[in-house]
Amino acid sequence: MKRIIFPLLAGILFLIIQTTWLPSFPIHRIRPDILLIFTLYLAFLFPPIFGGILAFFMGYLMDLFSGNALGFYTFSRPLVFFVANYFKERFYLEGFYSQFLFGLIFGMLEGILILILMNALQPLSFGKLYPLLFTLLLPQSFFTGLITPLFFFLFQKGSSLLFPQPDKGIKERV
Amino acid sequence: MRIRGFFLFRRYNLLVFVILLLLFALVLMSLRAKQREGVEFFDALLMEVCSPFQKAATLVIKTVQGTFQHYVFLVNLEKENRMLKQKIAELQEENHRIKEMKLANERLRQLLQFREKNSPSMIGAEVIGQDPSSWFKSVTIDKGERDGVKKGMAVISPAGVIGQILKTAPHYATVLLLTDYNSAIDSIVQRTRAKAIVEGKGVNRCQLKYLLRAEDVAVGDVVVTSGLGGNFPKGLMVGEIKKVDKKGHGVFQYAELVPSVDLTQLEEVFVIMEPLLPSQPQEEKGKKGKKTKK
Repeated sequence: MKRIIFPLLAGILFLIIQTTWLPSFPIHRIRPDILLIFTLYLAFLFPPIFGGILAFFMGYLMDLFSGNALGFYTFSRPLVFFVANYFKERFYLEGFYSQFLFGLIFGMLEGILILILMNALQPLSFGKLYPLLFTLLLPQSFFTGLITPLFFFLFQKGSSLLFPQPDKGIKERV
Repeated sequence: MRIRGFFLFRRYNLLVFVILLLLFALVLMSLRAKQREGVEFFDALLMEVCSPFQKAATLVIKTVQGTFQHYVFLVNLEKENRMLKQKIAELQEENHRIKEMKLANERLRQLLQFREKNSPSMIGAEVIGQDPSSWFKSVTIDKGERDGVKKGMAVISPAGVIGQILKTAPHYATVLLLTDYNSAIDSIVQRTRAKAIVEGKGVNRCQLKYLLRAEDVAVGDVVVTSGLGGNFPKGLMVGEIKKVDKKGHGVFQYAELVPSVDLTQLEEVFVIMEPLLPSQPQEEKGKKGKKTKK
């Protein structure tokens, strides 16, 4: 039961931090995405089915509190989770640089996906959106990547308190 | 045959699950676009669960920030003066609290005057959270359906327009800020009465769309609401033009404006419950106000 409740509560906690504490910093544009880092960490900790549902819930929460009326994150977060879960064995994730790169790449991939969805589903011209690649997407992904090692370390500490051998991941019950 | 089919399912069940989950997300997107009630109910339910925590967190953060700004920075003082300094800190803290109260009092008095002057059918709300993503611009307020807040209602402050209600829950609502890409407000340039649509442009900037090239527009011109959209009363300040560009050919010209309200520092806002048409007489205004008060 705790493997369901704790990640859900942690997700709500990170969402609250993201909507209340992070905006109080003076640099609004480069607000890192803690919920994305948490979703990436879930990809290492949880099996695809249960983790996928958790990622879906994280995306749903993001959509609920954002000005995005259609629900892009409900789609993008599980996708990010599945891709990260698929590549977790192929990615060397020890050390600062690899974790930074992991956060940066997934931050950018999700950003590009959101831009594509915005362009496809809403009447916005791409000419209006492409400056965001440099003014918003790059700095935000960079800062998300920069704090990824710190948060991975914290999540690892937190999950080691809750689950035995979290580095080996949680097995799916059949 | 059955057994073979079962094994095929076992082999591909993960892939099937991934596809189903992503398809479900796409179906949700489509349901949201069609504004189906089931999704909205679930959204409202989750928002009701999460928003009290958000409200509490905002309160804690404000308190901690206040303490840091006015007390903790005074801790590194010389030992012999600690007691004295502590006393000063306490007095400063008290002074700060009184100043804060005075400022809040002034702000609330202004809000009250503004409310009485404009429309009695408005309710005040507190901002309890910001948008979790950097792509979209919205805030969460502590008033919802139970207070009469409905989707599409205008949200303003004494300084000008803030945005409109995007989603509602029984006690909370999400406000789409005028700087969001999906926001569009019918407006006019105050000096020349040129009509245009104010669209969000992301970080604290908006643009004037469908502004005819022939219209006289200059930097520094004030843009106000036209009242034609139905949600916003006429004459509310939207922002000030910062850049005019008649680039290329075409029927329209391009203008950029800065909102009159600092949308990154929002604390209290007003939701207009029943927008009054500009042509309505004052008597009717009073009647409407009384009706909503009941």
